Amino acid sequence: MQIINHPVLEDTVNDEITFHLDGKSFKAYKGQTVAAALMANDIKKFGHSRKLQKSRGLYCANGRCCNCFMTIDGLDHVLACMTLVEDNMRISLNNSDPDIRSDRDGN
Amino acid sequence: MDQSTIVCRCEEINIDEIETAIKMGAETFDDIKRLTRCGMGPCQAKVCMNLVRQLIYDYAGKPLSDIPPARLRMPLKVTRMETLASNDSPSSSSSVISVFNESASNQGGDIREK
Amino acid sequence: METDVLIIGGGPAGLNAAFEPASNGMNVTIIDESFSFGGQLRSQTQYFDHLPRPFNRERGTNLSRKLIDRLLPFDVDFLPQHTFVGKYKDGTIGVSHKNEVIPINAKKVIIATGAAEEAIMFPGWTLPGVMTIGAAQILMNRDRVMPGKDAIIVGSNEFAFDVVQQLKDVGANVHGIVESDSQMRLQNSQKIEAFKNLGIPLYVNASITEAQGKGKVEKVFLGRNGEKINLDVDLICIAGGLMSILEPFEIMDCKLVYNQALGGWIPEYDKHFETSNQSTYVAGNAAGITSIGGILTTGELTGVSVMASLGVLKSEEAAERKRDLWHQLYQIEGIQRPDTYHARLAAIKDFNTSKDRTLTK
Repeated sequence: MQIINHPVLEDTVNDEITFHLDGKSFKAYKGQTVAAALMANDIKKFGHSRKLQKSRGLYCANGRCCNCFMTIDGLDHVLACMTLVEDNMRISLNNSDPDIRSDRDGN
Repeated sequence: MDQSTIVCRCEEINIDEIETAIKMGAETFDDIKRLTRCGMGPCQAKVCMNLVRQLIYDYAGKPLSDIPPARLRMPLKVTRMETLASNDSPSSSSSVISVFNESASNQGGDIREK
Repeated sequence: METDVLIIGGGPAGLNAAFEPASNGMNVTIIDESFSFGGQLRSQTQYFDHLPRPFNRERGTNLSRKLIDRLLPFDVDFLPQHTFVGKYKDGTIGVSHKNEVIPINAKKVIIATGAAEEAIMFPGWTLPGVMTIGAAQILMNRDRVMPGKDAIIVGSNEFAFDVVQQLKDVGANVHGIVESDSQMRLQNSQKIEAFKNLGIPLYVNASITEAQGKGKVEKVFLGRNGEKINLDVDLICIAGGLMSILEPFEIMDCKLVYNQALGGWIPEYDKHFETSNQSTYVAGNAAGITSIGGILTTGELTGVSVMASLGVLKSEEAAERKRDLWHQLYQIEGIQRPDTYHARLAAIKDFNTSKDRTLTK
Protein backbone atom coordinates (compact mmCIF):
# COMPACT_ATOMS: atom_id res chain seq x y z
CA MET A 1 0.00 0.00 0.00
CA GLN A 2 1.15 3.48 -0.91
CA ILE A 3 1.69 5.94 1.97
CA ILE A 4 -0.14 9.05 0.74
CA ASN A 5 0.09 11.32 3.77
CA HIS A 6 3.41 10.59 5.37
CA PRO A 7 3.41 11.53 9.08
CA VAL A 8 6.84 13.19 8.89
CA LEU A 9 7.93 13.78 5.32
CA GLU A 10 6.55 16.69 3.34
CA ASP A 11 3.96 15.94 0.69
CA THR A 12 5.70 15.77 -2.63
CA VAL A 13 3.54 14.54 -5.44
CA ASN A 14 5.66 12.62 -7.90
CA ASP A 15 4.43 11.70 -11.35
CA GLU A 16 2.34 8.58 -11.53
CA ILE A 17 3.66 6.02 -13.97
CA THR A 18 2.43 2.68 -15.35
CA PHE A 19 4.49 -0.48 -15.40
CA HIS A 20 3.66 -3.91 -16.73
CA LEU A 21 4.19 -7.05 -14.73
CA ASP A 22 3.90 -10.30 -16.64
CA GLY A 23 1.31 -8.69 -18.94
CA LYS A 24 -0.78 -6.83 -16.31
CA SER A 25 -0.55 -3.06 -15.76
CA PHE A 26 0.05 -1.40 -12.40
CA LYS A 27 0.53 2.15 -11.14
CA ALA A 28 3.53 3.44 -9.22
CA TYR A 29 5.24 6.75 -8.56
CA LYS A 30 8.42 8.06 -10.11
CA GLY A 31 11.32 7.85 -7.66
CA GLN A 32 10.28 4.47 -6.29
CA THR A 33 12.31 1.35 -6.83
CA VAL A 34 10.79 -1.54 -8.75
CA ALA A 35 10.73 -3.51 -5.49
CA ALA A 36 8.79 -0.76 -3.71
CA ALA A 37 6.42 -0.32 -6.66
CA LEU A 38 5.55 -4.03 -6.46
CA MET A 39 5.08 -3.91 -2.68
CA ALA A 40 2.82 -0.85 -3.10
CA ASN A 41 0.63 -3.03 -5.32
CA ASP A 42 0.62 -5.81 -2.71
CA ILE A 43 2.92 -8.03 -4.77
CA LYS A 44 5.27 -9.47 -2.19
CA LYS A 45 6.40 -12.62 -3.91
CA PHE A 46 9.20 -11.65 -6.29
CA GLY A 47 10.00 -15.14 -7.51
CA HIS A 48 11.14 -18.46 -6.19
CA SER A 49 14.36 -20.08 -5.20
CA ARG A 50 16.29 -22.27 -7.63
CA LYS A 51 16.78 -25.43 -5.61
CA LEU A 52 13.75 -25.78 -3.34
CA GLN A 53 11.31 -23.63 -5.36
CA LYS A 54 10.41 -21.54 -2.28
CA SER A 55 8.80 -18.10 -2.49
CA ARG A 56 11.15 -15.13 -2.20
CA GLY A 57 10.59 -11.42 -1.68
CA LEU A 58 12.35 -8.24 -0.64
CA TYR A 59 14.85 -8.93 2.15
CA CYS A 60 17.69 -6.37 2.46
CA ALA A 61 16.56 -3.55 0.11
CA ASN A 62 20.23 -2.63 -0.22
CA GLY A 63 21.44 -4.59 -3.23
CA ARG A 64 23.27 -7.17 -1.14
CA CYS A 65 21.07 -10.25 -0.72
CA CYS A 66 20.01 -10.66 -4.38
CA ASN A 67 16.59 -12.04 -3.34
CA CYS A 68 14.84 -9.45 -5.52
CA PHE A 69 16.31 -10.57 -8.84
CA MET A 70 13.84 -10.15 -11.68
CA THR A 71 13.75 -9.59 -15.42
CA ILE A 72 13.39 -5.91 -16.30
CA ASP A 73 12.98 -4.73 -19.89
CA GLY A 74 14.42 -7.99 -21.15
CA LEU A 75 17.48 -8.05 -18.90
CA ASP A 76 17.60 -11.03 -16.52
CA HIS A 77 18.75 -10.95 -12.89
CA VAL A 78 18.30 -7.24 -12.23
CA LEU A 79 18.20 -6.11 -8.59
CA ALA A 80 14.66 -4.72 -8.20
CA CYS A 81 15.59 -2.94 -4.95
CA MET A 82 18.29 -0.85 -6.65
CA THR A 83 16.43 -0.05 -9.87
CA LEU A 84 14.04 2.88 -10.20
CA VAL A 85 10.71 2.07 -11.78
CA GLU A 86 10.03 3.84 -15.10
CA ASP A 87 6.97 4.48 -17.22
CA ASN A 88 6.12 1.49 -19.43
CA MET A 89 8.73 -0.71 -17.79
CA ARG A 90 8.22 -4.42 -18.45
CA ILE A 91 8.89 -6.62 -15.49
CA SER A 92 8.75 -10.40 -15.04
CA LEU A 93 9.20 -12.12 -11.72
CA ASN A 94 12.10 -14.48 -11.19
CA ASN A 95 10.23 -17.77 -11.51
CA SER A 96 12.75 -19.80 -13.44
CA ASP A 97 16.27 -19.69 -14.77
CA PRO A 98 16.64 -17.82 -18.05
CA ASP A 99 16.30 -20.05 -21.08
CA ILE A 100 19.83 -19.89 -22.44
CA ARG A 101 18.91 -21.98 -25.48
CA SER A 102 16.24 -19.57 -26.68
CA ASP A 103 16.47 -17.87 -30.05
CA ARG A 104 16.25 -14.33 -28.77
CA ASP A 105 19.96 -13.62 -29.07
CA GLY A 106 20.04 -15.03 -32.56
CA ASN A 107 21.62 -18.31 -31.53
CA MET B 1 16.48 -24.95 16.09
CA ASP B 2 15.02 -27.13 13.35
CA GLN B 3 17.98 -28.67 11.49
CA SER B 4 16.32 -28.00 8.15
CA THR B 5 16.41 -24.20 8.70
CA ILE B 6 18.03 -22.47 5.73
CA VAL B 7 21.32 -20.69 6.54
CA CYS B 8 22.53 -19.73 3.06
CA ARG B 9 19.54 -18.25 1.25
CA CYS B 10 21.14 -18.31 -2.20
CA GLU B 11 22.29 -21.92 -2.36
CA GLU B 12 19.67 -23.09 0.17
CA ILE B 13 22.08 -24.82 2.53
CA ASN B 14 20.57 -25.78 5.90
CA ILE B 15 21.92 -26.09 9.45
CA ASP B 16 22.24 -29.87 9.12
CA GLU B 17 24.50 -29.57 6.08
CA ILE B 18 26.70 -26.99 7.83
CA GLU B 19 26.98 -29.15 10.95
CA THR B 20 27.89 -32.18 8.84
CA ALA B 21 30.68 -30.12 7.27
CA ILE B 22 31.92 -29.12 10.75
CA LYS B 23 31.89 -32.80 11.77
CA MET B 24 34.02 -33.52 8.73
CA GLY B 25 36.60 -31.06 10.06
CA ALA B 26 35.57 -27.69 8.65
CA GLU B 27 36.87 -24.88 10.88
CA THR B 28 36.30 -21.71 8.86
CA PHE B 29 33.65 -20.23 6.64
CA ASP B 30 35.75 -20.99 3.58
CA ASP B 31 36.09 -24.67 4.59
CA ILE B 32 32.31 -24.92 4.79
CA LYS B 33 31.92 -23.08 1.51
CA ARG B 34 34.16 -25.56 -0.27
CA LEU B 35 32.32 -28.53 1.21
CA THR B 36 28.73 -27.36 0.79
CA ARG B 37 28.49 -24.44 -1.70
CA CYS B 38 27.30 -22.27 1.23
CA GLY B 39 28.09 -18.65 0.29
CA MET B 40 28.70 -19.40 -3.41
CA GLY B 41 25.44 -17.97 -4.75
CA PRO B 42 24.77 -14.49 -6.12
CA CYS B 43 25.15 -12.69 -2.77
CA GLN B 44 28.60 -14.23 -2.20
CA ALA B 45 28.26 -14.85 1.56
CA LYS B 46 27.10 -11.31 2.34
CA VAL B 47 24.08 -12.53 4.30
CA CYS B 48 25.13 -15.91 5.73
CA MET B 49 28.76 -15.30 6.73
CA ASN B 50 28.18 -14.47 10.37
CA LEU B 51 25.37 -17.04 10.76
CA VAL B 52 27.87 -19.69 9.70
CA ARG B 53 30.63 -18.29 11.93
CA GLN B 54 28.18 -18.46 14.83
CA LEU B 55 27.31 -22.10 13.98
CA ILE B 56 31.03 -22.97 14.02
CA TYR B 57 31.28 -21.35 17.45
CA ASP B 58 28.14 -23.12 18.74
CA TYR B 59 29.06 -26.50 17.36
CA ALA B 60 32.87 -26.63 17.63
CA GLY B 61 33.39 -24.12 20.46
CA LYS B 62 35.94 -22.16 18.47
CA PRO B 63 35.96 -18.48 19.60
CA LEU B 64 34.54 -16.01 17.05
CA SER B 65 37.84 -14.10 17.03
CA ASP B 66 39.52 -17.23 15.62
CA ILE B 67 36.99 -17.72 12.83
CA PRO B 68 38.05 -15.48 9.93
CA PRO B 69 35.54 -13.85 7.59
CA ALA B 70 34.85 -15.33 4.17
CA ARG B 71 37.43 -14.65 1.46
CA LEU B 72 35.57 -12.27 -0.81
CA ARG B 73 36.67 -11.97 -4.39
CA MET B 74 36.32 -9.78 -7.43
CA PRO B 75 33.99 -8.83 -8.94
CA LEU B 76 32.41 -7.69 -5.68
CA LYS B 77 28.89 -7.31 -7.01
CA VAL B 78 26.79 -8.99 -9.66
CA THR B 79 28.51 -7.87 -12.86
CA ARG B 80 27.50 -8.84 -16.38
CA MET B 81 30.01 -10.60 -18.61
CA GLU B 82 29.42 -7.98 -21.30
CA THR B 83 30.19 -5.28 -18.74
CA LEU B 84 33.50 -6.85 -17.79
CA ALA B 85 34.40 -7.15 -21.45
CA SER B 86 33.23 -3.63 -22.30
CA ASN B 87 36.33 -1.50 -21.99
CA ASP B 88 38.38 -1.55 -25.18
CA SER B 89 40.41 1.60 -24.47
CA PRO B 90 41.75 1.08 -20.98
CA SER B 91 43.36 4.12 -19.39
CA SER B 92 45.29 1.96 -16.97
CA SER B 93 48.13 -0.43 -17.68
CA SER B 94 45.91 -3.47 -17.42
CA SER B 95 42.74 -3.99 -19.37
CA VAL B 96 39.38 -4.45 -17.77
CA ILE B 97 38.87 -7.85 -19.25
CA SER B 98 41.85 -9.06 -17.27
CA VAL B 99 39.99 -8.54 -14.01
CA PHE B 100 39.19 -12.24 -13.79
CA ASN B 101 42.78 -13.27 -14.45
CA GLU B 102 43.98 -10.81 -11.85
CA SER B 103 41.53 -12.03 -9.28
CA ALA B 104 42.79 -15.56 -9.87
CA SER B 105 46.49 -14.71 -9.68
CA ASN B 106 46.40 -11.91 -7.14
CA GLN B 107 44.16 -13.19 -4.42
CA GLY B 108 45.61 -16.54 -3.53
CA GLY B 109 47.22 -15.36 -0.33
CA ASP B 110 45.52 -14.78 2.97
CA ILE B 111 45.74 -11.16 4.06
CA ARG B 112 44.43 -11.73 7.53
CA GLU B 113 46.70 -11.66 10.52
CA LYS B 114 47.26 -14.98 12.14
CA MET C 1 39.20 8.83 -14.89
CA GLU C 2 41.54 10.71 -12.54
CA THR C 3 40.70 12.23 -9.16
CA ASP C 4 42.52 13.48 -6.07
CA VAL C 5 40.31 11.64 -3.60
CA LEU C 6 37.97 8.78 -4.41
CA ILE C 7 35.33 8.10 -1.80
CA ILE C 8 33.58 4.74 -2.02
CA GLY C 9 30.16 5.07 -0.41
CA GLY C 10 28.01 8.21 -0.35
CA GLY C 11 26.41 7.85 3.06
CA PRO C 12 27.03 10.17 6.03
CA ALA C 13 30.67 9.10 6.50
CA GLY C 14 31.61 9.47 2.84
CA LEU C 15 29.78 12.78 2.43
CA ASN C 16 31.40 14.24 5.53
CA ALA C 17 34.83 12.90 4.56
CA ALA C 18 34.47 14.82 1.28
CA PHE C 19 33.88 18.22 2.86
CA GLU C 20 37.37 19.20 4.04
CA PRO C 21 39.27 18.07 0.92
CA ALA C 22 36.61 19.55 -1.39
CA SER C 23 36.34 22.89 0.41
CA ASN C 24 40.14 23.18 0.24
CA GLY C 25 40.17 22.94 -3.51
CA MET C 26 40.78 19.24 -4.07
CA ASN C 27 38.88 17.25 -6.67
CA VAL C 28 36.74 14.65 -4.90
CA THR C 29 34.81 11.83 -6.55
CA ILE C 30 32.10 10.08 -4.55
CA ILE C 31 30.68 6.84 -5.91
CA ASP C 32 27.64 5.00 -4.61
CA GLU C 33 25.86 1.96 -5.98
CA SER C 34 22.48 3.51 -5.19
CA PHE C 35 20.64 5.95 -7.44
CA SER C 36 21.02 8.76 -4.88
CA PHE C 37 23.26 9.80 -2.01
CA GLY C 38 22.80 9.75 1.75
CA GLY C 39 22.77 6.01 2.44
CA GLN C 40 20.43 4.84 5.17
CA LEU C 41 20.11 8.46 6.40
CA ARG C 42 17.74 9.06 3.47
CA SER C 43 15.23 6.84 5.26
CA GLN C 44 15.88 7.87 8.86
CA THR C 45 13.09 10.18 9.99
CA GLN C 46 14.12 9.89 13.65
CA TYR C 47 15.97 12.77 15.30
CA PHE C 48 19.69 12.43 15.99
CA ASP C 49 21.46 14.15 18.88
CA HIS C 50 25.16 14.52 19.73
CA LEU C 51 26.22 15.61 16.26
CA PRO C 52 29.58 17.25 15.54
CA ARG C 53 29.94 20.89 14.45
CA PRO C 54 28.30 22.47 12.46
CA PHE C 55 25.27 20.20 12.83
CA ASN C 56 22.56 20.37 15.46
CA ARG C 57 19.79 17.99 16.50
CA GLU C 58 18.18 16.97 13.24
CA ARG C 59 16.11 14.30 11.53
CA GLY C 60 18.28 11.92 9.50
CA THR C 61 16.42 12.79 6.32
CA ASN C 62 17.24 16.52 6.72
CA LEU C 63 20.80 15.83 7.77
CA SER C 64 21.31 13.77 4.64
CA ARG C 65 20.19 16.70 2.49
CA LYS C 66 22.46 19.14 4.36
CA LEU C 67 25.50 16.89 3.97
CA ILE C 68 24.96 16.82 0.21
CA ASP C 69 24.05 20.51 -0.16
CA ARG C 70 27.18 21.79 1.52
CA LEU C 71 29.34 19.95 -1.02
CA LEU C 72 27.58 21.44 -4.05
CA PRO C 73 29.71 24.64 -4.36
CA PHE C 74 32.92 22.60 -4.65
CA ASP C 75 34.68 20.37 -7.15
CA VAL C 76 32.87 17.17 -6.20
CA ASP C 77 31.78 14.57 -8.75
CA PHE C 78 28.79 12.64 -7.50
CA LEU C 79 28.56 9.34 -9.36
CA PRO C 80 25.38 7.44 -8.45
CA GLN C 81 24.84 3.85 -9.65
CA HIS C 82 28.59 3.40 -9.72
CA THR C 83 29.65 0.19 -8.01
CA PHE C 84 33.13 -0.67 -6.78
CA VAL C 85 33.76 -4.12 -8.25
CA GLY C 86 37.51 -4.62 -8.06
CA LYS C 87 41.07 -3.35 -8.19
CA TYR C 88 43.68 -3.67 -10.91
CA LYS C 89 47.26 -4.75 -10.30
CA ASP C 90 48.48 -1.15 -10.48
CA GLY C 91 46.01 0.00 -7.82
CA THR C 92 43.45 1.50 -10.21
CA ILE C 93 39.92 1.07 -8.91
CA GLY C 94 37.38 -0.72 -11.13
CA VAL C 95 33.90 0.75 -10.97
CA SER C 96 30.93 -0.61 -12.88
CA HIS C 97 28.19 1.65 -14.20
CA LYS C 98 25.32 0.27 -16.27
CA ASN C 99 27.14 -1.90 -18.81
CA GLU C 100 30.63 -0.46 -18.63
CA VAL C 101 33.57 -0.64 -16.28
CA ILE C 102 35.35 2.61 -15.52
CA PRO C 103 38.91 2.55 -14.19
CA ILE C 104 39.48 5.33 -11.63
CA ASN C 105 42.95 6.50 -10.65
CA ALA C 106 42.91 8.26 -7.29
CA LYS C 107 45.73 9.68 -5.18
CA LYS C 108 43.90 8.45 -2.09
CA VAL C 109 40.90 6.20 -1.58
CA ILE C 110 38.49 6.53 1.34
CA ILE C 111 36.31 3.49 1.96
CA ALA C 112 33.08 4.59 3.60
CA THR C 113 30.85 1.67 2.72
CA GLY C 114 29.19 1.62 6.14
CA ALA C 115 27.51 -1.35 7.66
CA ALA C 116 25.28 -4.24 6.66
CA GLU C 117 22.51 -5.69 8.77
CA GLU C 118 23.15 -8.96 10.59
CA ALA C 119 20.69 -11.76 9.89
CA ILE C 120 18.72 -13.76 12.45
CA MET C 121 17.60 -17.09 11.02
CA PHE C 122 14.52 -19.13 11.89
CA PRO C 123 12.42 -21.66 9.99
CA GLY C 124 10.54 -19.71 7.32
CA TRP C 125 12.82 -16.65 7.31
CA THR C 126 13.12 -16.86 3.52
CA LEU C 127 9.39 -16.11 3.03
CA PRO C 128 8.33 -12.83 1.39
CA GLY C 129 7.34 -10.44 4.18
CA VAL C 130 10.41 -11.30 6.25
CA MET C 131 12.90 -8.47 5.81
CA THR C 132 15.55 -6.54 7.68
CA ILE C 133 14.42 -3.65 9.86
CA GLY C 134 16.43 -1.33 7.60
CA ALA C 135 14.55 -2.59 4.54
CA ALA C 136 11.21 -1.82 6.24
CA GLN C 137 12.47 1.69 7.02
CA ILE C 138 13.59 2.24 3.41
CA LEU C 139 10.16 1.19 2.11
CA MET C 140 8.30 3.50 4.51
CA ASN C 141 10.45 6.61 4.47
CA ARG C 142 12.32 6.63 1.20
CA ASP C 143 9.84 4.96 -1.16
CA ARG C 144 6.67 5.72 0.85
CA VAL C 145 5.25 2.23 0.74
CA MET C 146 3.83 0.25 3.67
CA PRO C 147 6.08 -2.76 4.30
CA GLY C 148 3.11 -4.54 5.94
CA LYS C 149 0.08 -3.99 8.16
CA ASP C 150 0.70 -6.39 11.02
CA ALA C 151 4.30 -6.58 12.12
CA ILE C 152 6.51 -8.36 14.59
CA ILE C 153 10.13 -7.42 15.23
CA VAL C 154 12.97 -9.80 16.13
CA GLY C 155 15.69 -8.03 18.09
CA SER C 156 15.40 -5.11 20.50
CA ASN C 157 18.24 -2.72 19.66
CA GLU C 158 17.76 1.05 19.38
CA PHE C 159 17.32 0.96 15.61
CA ALA C 160 14.46 -1.52 16.06
CA PHE C 161 12.66 0.82 18.45
CA ASP C 162 13.10 3.81 16.15
CA VAL C 163 11.51 1.86 13.30
CA VAL C 164 8.73 0.48 15.54
CA GLN C 165 7.72 4.08 16.26
CA GLN C 166 7.80 4.87 12.54
CA LEU C 167 5.74 1.77 11.69
CA LYS C 168 3.12 2.89 14.22
CA ASP C 169 3.18 6.41 12.77
CA VAL C 170 2.32 5.18 9.27
CA GLY C 171 -0.53 3.09 10.66
CA ALA C 172 0.91 -0.41 10.95
CA ASN C 173 0.09 -2.61 13.95
CA VAL C 174 3.17 -3.81 15.78
CA HIS C 175 2.25 -7.00 17.64
CA GLY C 176 5.44 -7.45 19.58
CA ILE C 177 9.20 -7.34 19.87
CA VAL C 178 10.94 -10.68 20.32
CA GLU C 179 14.28 -10.76 22.15
CA SER C 180 16.31 -13.91 22.79
CA ASP C 181 18.15 -12.26 25.68
CA SER C 182 16.64 -11.83 29.17
CA GLN C 183 16.26 -8.08 28.74
CA MET C 184 15.86 -5.56 25.95
CA ARG C 185 19.04 -4.32 24.29
CA LEU C 186 17.81 -0.73 24.04
CA GLN C 187 19.48 1.39 26.74
CA ASN C 188 18.29 4.91 26.01
CA SER C 189 15.95 5.60 28.95
CA GLN C 190 13.90 8.20 27.07
CA LYS C 191 13.25 5.76 24.25
CA ILE C 192 12.41 2.97 26.72
CA GLU C 193 9.81 5.28 28.29
CA ALA C 194 8.38 6.18 24.88
CA PHE C 195 8.18 2.50 23.97
CA LYS C 196 6.25 1.67 27.17
CA ASN C 197 3.63 4.23 26.16
CA LEU C 198 3.04 2.43 22.88
CA GLY C 199 1.70 -0.62 24.72
CA ILE C 200 3.54 -3.10 22.48
CA PRO C 201 4.35 -6.45 24.11
CA LEU C 202 8.04 -7.24 24.60
CA TYR C 203 8.79 -10.98 24.60
CA VAL C 204 12.14 -11.59 26.29
CA ASN C 205 13.84 -15.00 26.48
CA ALA C 206 11.84 -15.69 23.36
CA SER C 207 12.49 -16.56 19.75
CA ILE C 208 10.60 -17.22 16.55
CA THR C 209 10.15 -20.96 16.17
CA GLU C 210 8.59 -20.68 12.74
CA ALA C 211 7.13 -18.30 10.17
CA GLN C 212 4.46 -19.79 7.92
CA GLY C 213 2.42 -18.72 4.94
CA LYS C 214 1.54 -19.47 1.37
CA GLY C 215 3.72 -17.34 -0.89
CA LYS C 216 4.16 -14.78 1.92
CA VAL C 217 4.31 -14.73 5.68
CA GLU C 218 0.88 -15.07 7.33
CA LYS C 219 1.59 -16.54 10.75
CA VAL C 220 4.42 -16.50 13.22
CA PHE C 221 5.02 -18.92 16.09
CA LEU C 222 6.99 -17.73 19.10
CA GLY C 223 8.53 -19.87 21.79
CA ARG C 224 9.13 -18.53 25.30
CA ASN C 225 10.29 -20.91 28.05
CA GLY C 226 8.32 -23.79 26.54
CA GLU C 227 5.24 -21.62 26.10
CA LYS C 228 3.96 -21.26 22.51
CA ILE C 229 2.45 -18.05 21.17
CA ASN C 230 1.10 -17.65 17.66
CA LEU C 231 0.24 -14.42 15.90
CA ASP C 232 -1.19 -13.43 12.52
CA VAL C 233 1.35 -11.12 10.87
CA ASP C 234 2.29 -10.11 7.34
CA LEU C 235 5.63 -8.54 8.23
CA ILE C 236 8.57 -9.84 10.24
CA CYS C 237 11.44 -7.39 10.67
CA ILE C 238 14.87 -8.73 11.57
CA ALA C 239 16.86 -6.36 13.79
CA GLY C 240 20.09 -8.29 14.22
CA GLY C 241 22.39 -5.30 14.61
CA LEU C 242 25.11 -4.11 12.26
CA MET C 243 28.46 -5.36 10.96
CA SER C 244 31.10 -3.41 9.05
CA ILE C 245 31.08 -4.13 5.33
CA LEU C 246 34.40 -5.88 4.73
CA GLU C 247 34.67 -6.88 1.11
CA PRO C 248 36.18 -3.61 -0.18
CA PHE C 249 39.01 -3.93 2.37
CA GLU C 250 39.75 -7.48 1.31
CA ILE C 251 40.01 -6.31 -2.30
CA MET C 252 42.29 -3.40 -1.27
CA ASP C 253 44.54 -5.83 0.66
CA CYS C 254 43.87 -4.11 3.99
CA LYS C 255 44.54 -6.24 7.05
CA LEU C 256 41.50 -7.13 9.14
CA VAL C 257 41.23 -7.60 12.88
CA TYR C 258 38.51 -8.96 15.16
CA ASN C 259 37.07 -6.52 17.66
CA GLN C 260 33.83 -7.51 19.31
CA ALA C 261 32.98 -4.06 20.72
CA LEU C 262 33.32 -2.52 17.25
CA GLY C 263 30.97 -5.06 15.67
CA GLY C 264 33.25 -8.01 14.80
CA TRP C 265 35.79 -8.04 11.95
CA ILE C 266 36.98 -4.57 10.92
CA PRO C 267 39.91 -3.19 8.93
CA GLU C 268 42.99 -2.24 10.95
CA TYR C 269 43.73 1.49 10.95
CA ASP C 270 45.86 4.06 12.75
CA LYS C 271 44.87 7.35 14.42
CA HIS C 272 44.73 9.01 10.99
CA PHE C 273 42.26 6.33 9.83
CA GLU C 274 44.83 5.04 7.37
CA THR C 275 44.57 1.27 6.85
CA SER C 276 47.49 -1.12 6.38
CA ASN C 277 47.37 -0.11 2.71
CA GLN C 278 48.83 3.42 2.66
CA SER C 279 46.63 4.62 -0.19
CA THR C 280 43.44 3.55 1.55
CA TYR C 281 41.60 5.20 4.42
CA VAL C 282 38.43 4.25 6.26
CA ALA C 283 35.58 6.27 7.78
CA GLY C 284 32.25 5.73 9.51
CA ASN C 285 30.66 2.39 10.35
CA ALA C 286 33.16 0.62 8.09
CA ALA C 287 35.74 1.47 10.79
CA GLY C 288 33.60 -0.10 13.53
CA ILE C 289 29.92 0.31 14.41
CA THR C 290 29.21 3.63 16.11
CA SER C 291 26.59 6.39 16.44
CA ILE C 292 25.77 8.93 13.73
CA GLY C 293 27.92 11.46 15.62
CA GLY C 294 30.82 9.00 15.50
CA ILE C 295 30.22 8.33 11.81
CA LEU C 296 30.35 12.03 10.92
CA THR C 297 33.37 12.79 13.11
CA THR C 298 35.45 9.88 11.83
CA GLY C 299 34.51 10.99 8.31
CA GLU C 300 35.86 14.47 8.91
CA LEU C 301 39.00 13.11 10.55
CA THR C 302 39.66 10.94 7.52
CA GLY C 303 39.14 13.89 5.18
CA VAL C 304 41.71 15.95 7.13
CA SER C 305 44.17 13.03 7.18
CA VAL C 306 43.97 12.61 3.44
CA MET C 307 44.62 16.34 2.91
CA ALA C 308 47.59 16.19 5.26
CA SER C 309 49.09 13.14 3.57
CA LEU C 310 48.84 14.84 0.17
CA GLY C 311 50.50 17.99 1.53
CA VAL C 312 47.43 20.22 1.10
CA LEU C 313 47.51 21.00 4.81
CA LYS C 314 50.70 22.05 6.57
CA SER C 315 51.77 19.44 9.09
CA GLU C 316 51.33 21.69 12.16
CA GLU C 317 47.90 22.78 11.01
CA ALA C 318 46.92 19.19 10.25
CA ALA C 319 48.11 18.04 13.67
CA GLU C 320 46.03 20.71 15.35
CA ARG C 321 42.92 19.93 13.31
CA LYS C 322 43.24 16.24 14.12
CA ARG C 323 43.75 16.92 17.83
CA ASP C 324 40.61 19.00 17.79
CA LEU C 325 38.62 16.33 15.95
CA TRP C 326 39.85 13.56 18.25
CA HIS C 327 38.70 15.70 21.17
CA GLN C 328 35.33 16.07 19.47
CA LEU C 329 35.16 12.29 18.93
CA TYR C 330 35.83 11.85 22.64
CA GLN C 331 33.02 14.27 23.50
CA ILE C 332 30.56 12.55 21.18
CA GLU C 333 31.44 8.87 21.04
CA GLY C 334 33.47 8.72 24.25
CA ILE C 335 30.50 9.88 26.28
CA GLN C 336 27.62 8.38 24.31
CA ARG C 337 29.28 5.05 23.52
CA PRO C 338 32.31 4.73 25.84
CA ASP C 339 32.80 1.02 25.04
CA THR C 340 33.05 1.81 21.33
CA TYR C 341 35.44 4.70 21.90
CA HIS C 342 37.78 2.73 24.16
CA ALA C 343 37.71 -0.31 21.87
CA ARG C 344 38.64 2.00 18.99
CA LEU C 345 41.58 3.48 20.93
CA ALA C 346 42.78 0.00 21.90
CA ALA C 347 42.51 -1.25 18.31
CA ILE C 348 44.54 1.73 17.05
CA LYS C 349 47.19 1.12 19.72
CA ASP C 350 47.44 -2.57 18.79
CA PHE C 351 47.81 -1.69 15.13
CA ASN C 352 50.59 0.83 15.89
CA THR C 353 52.42 -1.75 18.00
CA SER C 354 52.29 -4.29 15.17
CA LYS C 355 53.42 -1.62 12.67
CA ASP C 356 56.38 -0.66 14.91
CA ARG C 357 57.31 -4.32 15.15
CA THR C 358 57.30 -4.63 11.38
CA LEU C 359 59.45 -1.50 11.04
CA THR C 360 62.11 -2.63 13.48
CA LYS C 361 62.35 -6.12 12.00
